[in-house]
Amino acid sequence: MSSTKAARIGEEVWKTRIDKVNAELVTLTYGSIVAQLCKDFEGDYMEVNKQLDKMGYNIGLRLIEDFLAKTNTGRCANFRETAETISKIGFKVFLNITPTVTNWTSDNKQFSLIFDENPLADFVELPDDGRAQNELWYSNILCGVLRGALEMVQMQVDAHFASDVLRGNDTTEMRVTLIRMIDDELPPGDD
Amino acid sequence: MSNLNAPNSPFVPFSPNPSIQSGVPTATPPLSASKPAQLGSSNLRYASSRKSIYDRHLNRTQRSELSKASFAFLFGEMIQYAQKQVSGIQDLEKKLNIQGYAIGQRLLELLLYREGRSAKRETRVLGILQFIAQTLYRHLFGKPADGLEKSREHEDEYMLIDHDPVVNSHISVPKEMSQLNCAAFVAGIIEAVLDGSLFPCRVTAHSVFSEQFPSKTVFLIKFEESVLEREAVLQ
Amino acid sequence: MPIYSFYIFDRHCECIYVKQWLERERERSSFRPQTANSTISSPATLSEKRVSTPIDAPTNARPPHGRLSVQDDAKLVFGVVFSLRNMVRKLSGPDDNFISYRTSSYKLHYYETPTNLKFVMLTDIRMDNLRVALHQIYINLYVEFVTKNPLSPVEHKGGEGVACELFELGLERFVQTIQDV
Repeated sequence: MSSTKAARIGEEVWKTRIDKVNAELVTLTYGSIVAQLCKDFEGDYMEVNKQLDKMGYNIGLRLIEDFLAKTNTGRCANFRETAETISKIGFKVFLNITPTVTNWTSDNKQFSLIFDENPLADFVELPDDGRAQNELWYSNILCGVLRGALEMVQMQVDAHFASDVLRGNDTTEMRVTLIRMIDDELPPGDD
Repeated sequence: MSNLNAPNSPFVPFSPNPSIQSGVPTATPPLSASKPAQLGSSNLRYASSRKSIYDRHLNRTQRSELSKASFAFLFGEMIQYAQKQVSGIQDLEKKLNIQGYAIGQRLLELLLYREGRSAKRETRVLGILQFIAQTLYRHLFGKPADGLEKSREHEDEYMLIDHDPVVNSHISVPKEMSQLNCAAFVAGIIEAVLDGSLFPCRVTAHSVFSEQFPSKTVFLIKFEESVLEREAVLQ
Repeated sequence: MPIYSFYIFDRHCECIYVKQWLERERERSSFRPQTANSTISSPATLSEKRVSTPIDAPTNARPPHGRLSVQDDAKLVFGVVFSLRNMVRKLSGPDDNFISYRTSSYKLHYYETPTNLKFVMLTDIRMDNLRVALHQIYINLYVEFVTKNPLSPVEHKGGEGVACELFELGLERFVQTIQDV
């Protein structure tokens, strides 16, 4: 599937098949979740990152079904197609953004997603306690979502943020790596 | 900081920050969980090319929309996370209430700012409830609340009715938890808005069975004594 | 045209949902497995029975005359469907999938999602292909009421969390509309 075709499908699904809700409700809800986690873990931002990733993973497992139901896409033939589908259709349908896909490695197993805007992080400034900007990845839930969603379609990936504007970097960039394709599960042998 | 005016005076110092109210401690989590910065100025780094959030206009995202599914998934995770930490429906609802409270505090400021010159400071109970049922509800859920009633048995109770809360749209409560209503989250938002406008109260969400609207929810708003006294004086 | 039964299998090769309507001729017996209904009863009694009964709880009464219990039925169906699917893929490449098969007493319709979730429906032999209907069940009922329900777990071990009220109601109504056509 080419990039323009994916973009077209993403636009069309966004316009016609998605129930919409006020963006600020989502932004504030996510902020409340992160704030609650920071409070529960008392400033241990590495734990917060891990917890966000885990929550994202659980969301991803469910989100993929919703995505397939809404967009009727079939299996992707290769990892490049997967990347295009994620960025042009996946993110468009759920967050109304289309991050750019760049920085492919030569073996086509790694790519970067560059986010121009991030609705989850509107109105957000990290706390000024000297550690948050160095340790917390605010949108880490997105990494978990990608990991969970791709695992349900038999791809094991690793996703992590390489830079984030909330931390003072110039761009928000997520690096996604394909580790391996997962085989189908066989039924237990004593059937 | 004590109330400098006479106790029966209708003029109370207005501040949306409950901690400045006269001596009444509230269960408000502090807005910033950080320690104060060592130096006088901020130590935060900002991106060289981009402006900080203070340069962006607040109304930029006013009309923007995201998919309902994103909210549903985030809300679902919030519930799952809270469920792991508590045992019991009351505690779960309380946790959801607290998370909604934080949002309500910010929404009150945002919505009043957006009304601009025509923002009216509500001093009457009916006024603030109308603000919630119309402005707040419309902003969050795209539709006004479906009903506002005053309880006949208790002077201090009002009821806000929602026939089909957006937050509950994908939730199907199992029989063993039939008293749970996840709209406790919205109850928290309402409670924060009321507390912030100096109408201290407790808000809870209750599911009411109705043939026509199977997921009808009633938010029970119970005001404190001080509100009723003030209302009586302003009558 | 009657619909006999409906199964959902997850990607771990487990049956997570079973619904049986009219019992077929060969299975008529006084045996009542925990999760079966003989007629389309009212939703209230349905949900009462189904509350938190996992599918693979052992049923003590073996049905007479070698009739199969619900679990064994489900396992058989899964075995058939899995083998057929693998055979089809080996024969004509990974993109193809089998759609249905027919015997002299029933027709089996199959739909699989890219997440390896399998929907199987057994109907009367004269029924048209129900692949579209199964797809509709997936997107309008399963995703809406099961996947998006935060109070049901993500992995439905033993069928947990799938049989919630809204899903059951929706499924009944949908099946009624198919049958009336």
